[in-house]
Amino acid sequence: MSESGAPSPAWVFEAVDLKKSYDDGQVQALRGVSFRIREGEFVAIIGPSGCGKTTLLQMLGALDRPSWGTLAYRGKSLADLPQPATYRAREIGFVFQSFHLLPTFTAVENVQIPMFETARSLPERRARADELLQAVGLEKRADHFPAKLSGGERQRVAIARSLANGPSVLLADEPTGNLDSENARHILELLSRLHREQHMTLILVTHDMSIARRASRAIQMKDGQIVFDGDPAELSALLT
Amino acid sequence: MTFLAVIARGLVRRPVRTGLTLVGISIGIAAVVALVGMSRGFVSSWTAGMKSRGTDIVVHNMRTSLTPKPFPAEAQERIANLPGIAATCGILVELMSVENSEMMIVSGREWGGFSWNNLKLLSGRLPSGGAERAVVLGKTAADVLEKKVGDKLQMETEELDVVGIVDGGALVENGSVILSMALLQEIMGNEGQINAIDVRVAPGTTENGMRLLCDEISRLIPEARAQVAGQHIRESQSYRMINAMSWGTSLLAVLVGVLGVMNTMLMTVFERKQEICILLALGWKRSRIVRMVLWESALLGFFGGIVGVALGVVGVHLMKQTPAIRGLLEPEMSAGLMLTSVAIAVGVGVLSGLYPAWRSSRLTPSLALQG
Repeated sequence: MSESGAPSPAWVFEAVDLKKSYDDGQVQALRGVSFRIREGEFVAIIGPSGCGKTTLLQMLGALDRPSWGTLAYRGKSLADLPQPATYRAREIGFVFQSFHLLPTFTAVENVQIPMFETARSLPERRARADELLQAVGLEKRADHFPAKLSGGERQRVAIARSLANGPSVLLADEPTGNLDSENARHILELLSRLHREQHMTLILVTHDMSIARRASRAIQMKDGQIVFDGDPAELSALLT
Repeated sequence: MTFLAVIARGLVRRPVRTGLTLVGISIGIAAVVALVGMSRGFVSSWTAGMKSRGTDIVVHNMRTSLTPKPFPAEAQERIANLPGIAATCGILVELMSVENSEMMIVSGREWGGFSWNNLKLLSGRLPSGGAERAVVLGKTAADVLEKKVGDKLQMETEELDVVGIVDGGALVENGSVILSMALLQEIMGNEGQINAIDVRVAPGTTENGMRLLCDEISRLIPEARAQVAGQHIRESQSYRMINAMSWGTSLLAVLVGVLGVMNTMLMTVFERKQEICILLALGWKRSRIVRMVLWESALLGFFGGIVGVALGVVGVHLMKQTPAIRGLLEPEMSAGLMLTSVAIAVGVGVLSGLYPAWRSSRLTPSLALQG
């Protein structure tokens, strides 16, 4: 938030006193969360299950609205978006813990799914999907269905899909949660590389400190509140 | 990958359910094709029969029954004297059970009238006079009754000689038992009564001229009504009732199809709840999700319609071979009826998809991050 109180476009995200409650206020998922995220930052949101980190990610992706407080993207309130779907299609890439690939579509078709909301022609969509699968090293698995891919490969397809429309922000919810350590390492390296090469803002939700250490900034949450916001190495030291 | 491919993939993912839904909707459409085709065929078959006899106008008293009610035969003379009338032929026609056939057209024709002229002998001969206790059979009637020239035919309490087998040039003619009107009047106890007069107008009479003649005849014979051949069937209360019942029964069957498609699409939406949420999370607009569901249900309707039309055609073909229908009518399987049926099926699909589509549009994308 700028000094005058109006949202400033210098920040990718600005959250002020975000609160979220369910069941008529009986469940408080967020209890007054405020933060700012710069362009190109790699932010890890860390905390135990139920601390509100996924709720926060949903709000950043305009999948849900806060019960209280303001959340702005590049100076514009997400609550005032006329078409949140357009925001998600153009600005945001989602990577889910359970990959969420559509089982009846091949890898290359899954990557094309978000592109239906763009003006790309059919050949352009196919070319873009091929290019993205190549970027994640899966060009030879393009015509395989998700059931025929390993967990690591599925997550790489999901990452390629999240990049389909060239988003400026990548939101990853426990992206290595369903992977073995070897595949998890590959996926984290891939995300780090994409973040570096494409200068994207990467916001990664995890409960694993070893993953959070790869980020440039760590936000620790507990019981719906931010209890630490700073250098991941410092947080790691505090936790050990 | 096109949007249509996305839609088609949604249908083929559950082939058994999609197949069963297609069967449900196709049975409804088959009923439309078969029943409506039969009722329309009723009109076209009788109209063709009239045309083959060379009848332009029919004078009848057809109100609520399938066959017209009798009226005094003397009316024929009054019509014959009108200017513009070339010829008349008194008719007494009945739909009745004859031997092993539950319903047979029995057509008594004024001996010497023009309505005998279209009959081409295939075997035997025509009756030698109006008083001969004999019948000729249309070729289909002969097949149905399993009769040949020289056999006896039991009609009511009378035993008549089958003296000829004829080709009348139309299905209704070929499915008839034909005899002299005087003989049928005697058998039915309807002496001096007829229930139709076939009228042939003077050559060159225009359609408007025929309509004027109809008006004039109707004024002259208040106990009957004159109409252009074919129109009297289309406008009869019996046909209207048959037609309404055909559509009513068909639409009931279609309603079952609607419920089937709606159930399938609702199940699809419930089952694919998370998938739809993922699509929303990936940036798909709600309107696109609605379109996806509606297109899926419309495609179900379309393919159900195609299968239903095929089933209806096969069903009608089988039905018209049954003794109860054979020779009575030729079902009308027009391209118009088939296109209408497919259009109904697509409409059914879209209608059935409306509620599931609305439900899908109410899903919250945040569910994508759960599970």
